[in-house]
Amino acid sequence: MMPLYEGIALIQEKQAVVLDLGSEYTKFGFTGEPAPRCIVRSQFWSAAERRMKRVLDYATAEELYENLVHMLHLLYFRHVLVNPKERRVVVVESLLSPTLFRDTLAKVLFEHYEVGGVVWADAARLAALTLGTPCALVVDVGYREAEVTAVLHSVPLIPALQWAAQGAGAVRGELRQRLDRDNGEELGLSDEVLEDIHVKTLFVANRERACQWDSPSPPAPAPSVQYPVAGRAAITVSGETRERSAEVLFQRDGDMTSLPDLVLTCIMKCPIDGRRPLAENILVTGGGAALPGLRARLAQELRYLLTQPPYNTSLKVPLIKFHRAASHENCVAWSGGAALAGDALAARAVRSPRPDWPSLTHTHG
Amino acid sequence: MAYLTQPDYVTYVCSCSQLKPITSLYFCRHCLQIRCGFCICHEVDSHYCANCLENMPSSEARLKKNRCSSCFDCPSCFHTLSTRATLAQQRQSQEAAAAGDTKVENKASKKMYYLSCFNCRWTSRDVGIPDQPVGGWPERTHPHAARLAALLEHCRAISQLEKQDRLEKERKKFTIRGKYITLTDKTGLTGAMARSLAGMPAEGAPAAGFPPSVAEEEVEGLPEDFYTKEVDLKQITSMPQRLASPEWQPVLVSRLQPLPRALSVKRSQRCRQCDHNLTKPEYNPGSIKFKIELLALYHVPEVKIISCDPLKPGGTGSLLLKLCNPTPHELALRLLPHDYGTEVEECAEEEEGDEKEPKPKKEVSKRPALPSYSHLSPLDVSLSLAQRDDAAEYDDDAQAAQPQHEIVMWRKSNKMALRLNVSLSEDAPADRCAVAFTLEYSYRNTLPPSAAAPRQPQDHTLRTTVLLDLGKLTV
Repeated sequence: MMPLYEGIALIQEKQAVVLDLGSEYTKFGFTGEPAPRCIVRSQFWSAAERRMKRVLDYATAEELYENLVHMLHLLYFRHVLVNPKERRVVVVESLLSPTLFRDTLAKVLFEHYEVGGVVWADAARLAALTLGTPCALVVDVGYREAEVTAVLHSVPLIPALQWAAQGAGAVRGELRQRLDRDNGEELGLSDEVLEDIHVKTLFVANRERACQWDSPSPPAPAPSVQYPVAGRAAITVSGETRERSAEVLFQRDGDMTSLPDLVLTCIMKCPIDGRRPLAENILVTGGGAALPGLRARLAQELRYLLTQPPYNTSLKVPLIKFHRAASHENCVAWSGGAALAGDALAARAVRSPRPDWPSLTHTHG
Repeated sequence: MAYLTQPDYVTYVCSCSQLKPITSLYFCRHCLQIRCGFCICHEVDSHYCANCLENMPSSEARLKKNRCSSCFDCPSCFHTLSTRATLAQQRQSQEAAAAGDTKVENKASKKMYYLSCFNCRWTSRDVGIPDQPVGGWPERTHPHAARLAALLEHCRAISQLEKQDRLEKERKKFTIRGKYITLTDKTGLTGAMARSLAGMPAEGAPAAGFPPSVAEEEVEGLPEDFYTKEVDLKQITSMPQRLASPEWQPVLVSRLQPLPRALSVKRSQRCRQCDHNLTKPEYNPGSIKFKIELLALYHVPEVKIISCDPLKPGGTGSLLLKLCNPTPHELALRLLPHDYGTEVEECAEEEEGDEKEPKPKKEVSKRPALPSYSHLSPLDVSLSLAQRDDAAEYDDDAQAAQPQHEIVMWRKSNKMALRLNVSLSEDAPADRCAVAFTLEYSYRNTLPPSAAAPRQPQDHTLRTTVLLDLGKLTV
């Protein structure tokens, strides 16, 4: 009788959901599946304010609570179509997510949606999990910021964590300015149009070409694009805009916050034994990294910077190697979260709404 | 009144202290409380396809990943695709005959189908999907499905090991050891040595089968012609087009594939306090009716603003309200100041303590900020409002003379209009002024007596707080 009973229990165990709530896009789906069920903008229709509202537009904890309730309602009942009650949730979050956000999300999940348990997992560790290698250096280029995390044997090294506001949003800002300059007027383009131009026309040129732009003889720019906009004449996206908008990620300054600097600083702050394996296991993830040519350029910049001070004296890594993620850039961390299924999930799920975050038993299972 | 496109001028205070128009409120007749979408529990009731109105059992919906098997959306503009039929061409059957397949030759004029979008003219032929016979469109698998499945297996194996480990530890806790513990026993060294001598992998090592990803030094850059090639915007997909199929996220328009239509759900709503259903839709996807429909609109008197005098800070003006009784019972009404019930409520809570479960404290403690700068007068007036009678408008004689209060302007079957005065203090905000009052109304419970509660009082006196938006002030 007992095995039969257990069998029924196994079938009845509800498939957990994986939530990756980004500042721009939210990835949501079931564990055990190769891709999220939906990737939607992190916004919802606010009936009170009569506009689409972003989840991260909040001034107070109450407002955030309400935003999250609406967003999760949308995700559960429009996209994934399951009852949230007594179903486990894997929350894929950044290590830098504010405590207020985390606490409020926990409150929403436990008190409002009465979920069965929540696994809090950081994005870098999950992204590294998909590789299967003991060490990985995860470069996550999101919308708001880029984060570089060294993961050694599934443990993210917090002291080495590097981040800067070098995400797709920074590229978008530069693109807006350059478009205004190309067309000689304030265009005031909406975010959607700007995103479309970003996705369709931009690319990252190789290092050789980028250096030529700063020299007295700039290269012939890539062909410009006439982008049609409703209600006005087509706007011009010049070749220079196309290939140089993403340069903001690679521009070096005194603060060492360019993308390659973040990577090398992170490696430098790691224990000496870990540096070489980390440099040989770089994984570039995040929606912002989907720009054509970005990985190749990053590799070139890293190799060049290793010959420059301060890295040439203090950092001895002969090889820089890159991994190819097993899914699209924007859902690598999500697929890591989806791999946590069954017992691993049950053992790590937090069941109370107010966990003691600094406690290792809560954050590391 | 609640409008579709305009701001909500009249809002009710829900039991969870949210302000909502009456059209988005529910009324739980078991707890006798107003509930809103925020404080009730939503549940998925049934899955259906909104296009073909076909029901799908939830187990099947889970298997099919919440996608309809017969309807498709356009991957380019997300409009519904239509199936178009053509006769299979002669040439194809000749080819088949040349291949020696005699069966196909017999069915030379077979009907073949392709998908076409009437909105943007996209067809499945554009992207090179061959026409299909009835039904089956080819299903695609995720490009990295094998790798991710291996990863999942790997994680399962690790968690199994973990579980065994935990069980082992728990078992060891209770085993009674011998009198003498050797060091090797304690550290488990002998076991590890035996394993290594036998050539077995060390204990705790995850099962093989998930080869780690191999990093490459070479990162392919952009093709050289990228810098000189013209960009054809029509050939590159937009972000919504890519994200509509998260598995593939095609970059080129030529890679778009028809999207199986996502299912929709009918939801039922449940009161969190008493677990009774507030709404339950009919199972048939074509029906918009409900089996259970406890909307506030059917149980709570509705307040509408007829007109309001232009108001000034510190001034007074008359406010014309219309009250409507939706229930089939006569209502006794009382208008009260909005802060009337706060202390009384707690007493009532204690009285009812023995028959009802005490509510969680957080619900009682929260109250929305109601305006204190504006007052209605005269308040504390008792009125009565006739029941709803659909046949009343066909009656010739007007309403029998009822005891009229001077604030009642007119009555008509289950509706009446009131003339009230609003007085504002000097500190009233000029941009958006509001006034609140509490409406006390009698409620007759039509709940059939059940085994759990055989005799419950039928008539109740309930209160609800209403906030009226009076708009801008004239300064």
